[in-house]
Amino acid sequence: MENLLDINFLIESIPAIISRLPITIGIAVGSLILSLFIGVITALIKIYRVPVLRVISSIYVSFIRGTPLLVQIYLVFYGIPKIIYYLQIQYGWLQSADVNSIPPEVYALVAFSVNLGAYLSETIRSAIESVDRGQFEAAKSIGMTPAQMMLQIIFPQALAVAIPNLGNMFISTIKDTSLVFIIGVIDIMGQAKILGSRGLAFFEVYIGVSIVYWILCIVVERLLVLIEKRARRYERGIAS
Amino acid sequence: MIKLENIHKYYGSQHVLKGIGLTVNKGEVVSILGPSGSGKSTLLRCINFLEQPTRGIVEIGDKRVDAESASKADIVTLRNSTGMVFQQYNLFKNFTVLQNVMVGLTSVKRVHKVEAKKKSLEILERVGLTNRLSHYPAQLSGGQQQRVGIARALALNPEVLLFDEPTSSLDPELVDEVLTTIKKVASEGNTMLIVTHELNFAREISDRVIFMEDGVIIEEGTPEQIFNHPKAERTKQFLGKAIRTK
Ligand SMILES: Nc1ncnc2c1ncn2[C@@H]1O[C@H](COP(=O)(O)OP(=O)(O)OP(=O)(O)O)[C@@H](O)[C@H]1O
Ligand SMILES: [Mg+2]
Repeated sequence: MENLLDINFLIESIPAIISRLPITIGIAVGSLILSLFIGVITALIKIYRVPVLRVISSIYVSFIRGTPLLVQIYLVFYGIPKIIYYLQIQYGWLQSADVNSIPPEVYALVAFSVNLGAYLSETIRSAIESVDRGQFEAAKSIGMTPAQMMLQIIFPQALAVAIPNLGNMFISTIKDTSLVFIIGVIDIMGQAKILGSRGLAFFEVYIGVSIVYWILCIVVERLLVLIEKRARRYERGIAS
Repeated sequence: MIKLENIHKYYGSQHVLKGIGLTVNKGEVVSILGPSGSGKSTLLRCINFLEQPTRGIVEIGDKRVDAESASKADIVTLRNSTGMVFQQYNLFKNFTVLQNVMVGLTSVKRVHKVEAKKKSLEILERVGLTNRLSHYPAQLSGGQQQRVGIARALALNPEVLLFDEPTSSLDPELVDEVLTTIKKVASEGNTMLIVTHELNFAREISDRVIFMEDGVIIEEGTPEQIFNHPKAERTKQFLGKAIRTK
């Protein structure tokens, strides 16, 4: 009798897939953190109209938005070693770096940070600009430095505004990390592929991995709701 | 003491302040009156460089700053020695009442947390808000918010307090609590410069009243002189009209 699915194989594959979850989460969370820096810096460059950097950052954002993520991953994976090698030979820089020992996870992290950073840039810029002018003026009026004003007053308020958007982009990024196996990272997708070819049961493992992604995204969505509540707690309600 | 010399402000080609000179002595309370658009807010905001004066000199305490050569450090020094109370309160929305008052001490003046809290509680006591310490601005009435605004400005012990229409955004029934607080602050010997449309209040609280129009000071004097014996025709018209529309 022919079965549609080998349920046992599916169930057995799930723990093996989950064992690679730290890679998927690590790349997603790591690139979220790095891309927040990129997003904030490029947003500030745009808001303060910094000459030269402003042009560079808008070309960067436009390029990332205008090219496929898959291509960007390849560019990073093949480009960075070439550039490091070139700098070593031509200028004697970075001598201590061994190009061949850089793990593929690092390239994945770089590619996803650069990609997400460009998408966050606009969201962060508009969130910062949505903060009431009076907040900036009050901060200046008590003598805060621009850094104090940004870190203590403006960013927390901008973050509260931006969380829903940031959250959606983060969830997209989690799903996009399924591309990293193409450069040899064994994330949950890579693991599923390996198991699938070993057991010749691709349908089963892809069902398995999709369940893992799905649950992960649901958990992250729940967390985002909590984080947003916490970030916006000052907006209404009665304090205890 | 605070002294302004020949302050000019242009917005593009629009000449908004046309050579303002003004001295406010220590402990003095000075009100600025004048029609809408006459440059009252701009003048206040030039004192702490929220607007950069195009020309002129701002002197507060022993700090003398020429607008045309003001450095970032000069501006920070001026801002440290002024406190501003805004028409829209502008409390830090993400901070509680206590944090709003404390932040200037802890972040700007680098006062230790314990001491900053003690001092902030003392000031909040003076504006009557010790029962709202952990409330956020959104949870307060306009009058309460403005009293926190006053406490925040007081916390840095400024040489001068600048008020820009502190009661204009308030519901009528909340105006009095704020005016009472400002009077109290004045009676404690603070140096104050107040832009207001509350003529009776200005008359009561001020040592000196300034009438401004179209970027120049038309007339100044004691409340008695300005309200009862104004010299300039424009002052008479303004006060007459303002009193009639009350
Ligand atoms: N940021 C700005 N850019 C351009 N023009 C401005 C700016 N701020 C103020 N002005 C102009 O400067 C003039 C003086 O404005 P200001 O706000 O100082 O008047 P005001 O006396 O405070 O009036 P009100 O009683 O309505 O508050 C007005 O003509 C105003 O349009
Ligand atoms: Mg004004």
